[in-house]
Order: sequence, then C-alpha cells, then structure tokens
Amino acid sequence: MFQTKKTYVSAEMRMSELIFENPSFLVMMEHFNLDMATQDKSVEQICQENLLNNEVFIAIANLYNGFNPEGIDRFEPDDVKAIIAFLKNSHQFYLNEKIPEIHDIVDHLFIIETNKRTEIALIEKFFSEYTREVEEHLQYEDNIAFPYFMELLSPKRDCKKTRKKFSVKEYQEHHTDIETKLNDLKKLLVKHISLKDNRSLKRKLLINLFELEYDLNIHSVIEELMLIPLITKIERSISHG
Amino acid sequence: MDKCRINIGLVEPSQIICEGLTTILLKAESHNRIFRFDSLDEMIAAIPTHQINLAIINPALAKNNVPDFIQKRNSLQLNAWVGILYTLHDRDVLTLFDATIQITDSSEQIAETIHQLSVNKCHCSNCHQSESLTSREIDILRQITLGLSNKEMADKLNISVHTVVSHRKNIICKTGIKSQAGLTIYAISNKIISLENFA
Repeated sequence: MFQTKKTYVSAEMRMSELIFENPSFLVMMEHFNLDMATQDKSVEQICQENLLNNEVFIAIANLYNGFNPEGIDRFEPDDVKAIIAFLKNSHQFYLNEKIPEIHDIVDHLFIIETNKRTEIALIEKFFSEYTREVEEHLQYEDNIAFPYFMELLSPKRDCKKTRKKFSVKEYQEHHTDIETKLNDLKKLLVKHISLKDNRSLKRKLLINLFELEYDLNIHSVIEELMLIPLITKIERSISHG
Repeated sequence: MDKCRINIGLVEPSQIICEGLTTILLKAESHNRIFRFDSLDEMIAAIPTHQINLAIINPALAKNNVPDFIQKRNSLQLNAWVGILYTLHDRDVLTLFDATIQITDSSEQIAETIHQLSVNKCHCSNCHQSESLTSREIDILRQITLGLSNKEMADKLNISVHTVVSHRKNIICKTGIKSQAGLTIYAISNKIISLENFA
C-alpha cells in the first residue's frame, strides 16, 4: 500500500527487493506463514523451500502489486489447501490485529475529542456493526465454506450435507456489503468529519482503515477469482467422474 | 467524480519518451493517472485493478502480430487506443488506433488529443456537478436518517416513489456514501440533523 512503483512479480526475482518495493508484502508473507528474512533468495527458492506452488504465490503477490491474477487455469486441486491456509491466516490478521487496532483508536478519540462525541459515538457504533458483519462472514468461511472445500479434496467425501449450506452468490454478496461500509467510513473521515485537535490520531485511524480495506479487497479477489473457480472445477470433475 | 478520471496505460519501451509523455500528461489540466507497463500483456492484466480506460502504445508492439493485437483490442472495453509515433509505420498499422501522438506535437496538442478522446467517451453525467445537496435532497436525507422506506417518504413529502428513488441516487452519487448509518453520520456532521431528531 505504500508502493510507488509496480513490478510484475516473476519466479526469478529476489524476494527482498520485492519487499522493499512494496511493504505490503510483509503482511502477505505472514499470511503465507513465511519468514521475512529472505536473504538473497528468489521467489522460486522461497516457494520450493516452503513447499508452495510457485504459480499460486506469484498470482497472489501480483495481486498485492495491483495486477489481476493470471495462470489460475494451471492451479492444481491440491492448491486449495495452500489458498485456504493463506485465507485463514488473513482472518486472524483482521480479527486479532487490524480491527482491534481500529477500535482502540476510535475509543481513544471518544475520550479526548470532547467536541465531537456525537459523531465519534456514531462512528463507534458503525464500526462495531461492521465488525459484527465481518466476523459473521469470516465465521461462515471458517465453519461452512472451507470445511466443504476440504471435504471435496478428501478421497472419502460426503459433501451432500455441507453442499446445501454453501452458496457462491451469498459469498459474493457478503463481500460487497463489507466493502461498501468500509468505504463509507473512509469517505466520512476524509471529507466530512474534521478532528482538528487530533489530526495524527485521525490519520492513524484512516491508515488502518486503508490497510484493512487493501487486504480485504485482495482477500475477496483471491476467493472469487482463484478459490471459487478452482472449487467449481473440482466439483465438475467429481460429478463427471 | 472518480468515474471521470482518466487512467492511462502506457506501453512504450523508451524511457525518455515515457518520462516525457508522463510529465506532459500530468501537467495537463484533466485528472490523468498514468501507469507504465513493459508489455501489452502486462497492461491487459492490470486493466481491471487499475481501471485503465485509455491506452497509449507504441505501434511497433502491434505491427509484429496484427491479428493478435486486434483480438486483444476488441476484447477490451477501453475508451481509446492511442499510438505514439516517432518512427515510420505502415498506414495499415496506424488505422488500428483511434488517434496518434507525434513526437513533434506540442504539450498542448498532446493534452488536447487525450482530452478530446476522454470527453467524447465520458459517460459520467455528473462530471463537474457540485457535491452540495439541494434542499429537496436534504429533505429526503432527513427522512433516510429516520429510517423511512421509499414509500413512506413519498407519502410524507407528497411526491412519487420514483422521484424519491432518483433523489436517493443523487444523494449517494454526491456524497459517495451508500449505507443508511453512514448517511446519518454525514447528516449530523454537516448539521443537517441533530441528535434531538432521534429523541
């Protein structure tokens, strides 16, 4: 999110250079469960060492650099596991780190911005409702969608039970709602709510919102453009086999 | 407002030409954003995320494989394809472009070429519309914050549901805020309503 230059990631590039160019790669590495001390290793080496499919890593890294995913048709059914592991780690990042940080700043603002108590109280309420929606969606993924996807991969599958509860359309609608609300909050803070005495706190709040939004957007693109097509492909091969 | 900003994808191997063109376009009065790519495919991959609506490319990139270029061009919904010319090209290749920029063009000519293309194709009706709400829109906004349905608002204000819907659309378009809760915060911070309205 702080990048100034956009590089199209490929296998032979040096990981550390990519991180210097786009610091958002740090959080991406965490989502992949990778250590960020990468010495002078290339993207390919890192993937090999960590038993990650190059194509998956590169597609996601390019998303972080602002390019649409490519090579999805070359993903293997087994890549579902790595993608789900990535998404589960990002859930932890939203729920245990980013969202609490934002709540803390809003709480702090409420205490010190005595002139704007009404607006801040409303923002607090707004963000709490938003948090509840995000939590619900992430729980839906963790408890219904992901187990169903994993079930598809296992040899002894019995997906009939879970199948009914999962719907791609519902999945996508959740995403749209989540994006709209976050966008409203950013617009309000940037354009309308002036917090003259606490500009630095307001900036921190906004930067956190931008960071959350950036990662959440990538999260939904991964699900909609990588995971779902892959799952559809697996489902089709099961019904044909 | 964001809708009518022009996001330009620039595919041109020469660093000098790129930097020069970027400087000229950024100085122009329209809101241009320029993204440079090393190849056509790279730009195509970035079109959805960067919302690129105009491409400026070196015709040499199309010359070697015209059918491929035409296919890519037709599959993408860009507003215009502009060729940047500093060597001679076949007439056939040049017909693939909606306009051309010559290396001898002045800054004003270049800016004008791009501006013309974007003005013709800009579908955003409220391009330069003010963001402040009309008094009727403010009436509607007050009702929205109270949680009234479109039908209830129409009855209360003696207008048709259709009119309510169109006011709502304008409010969303002008403020950029879509949710009811967000609009309520907007109304309070702009002093359109006060907390007593909820009491």
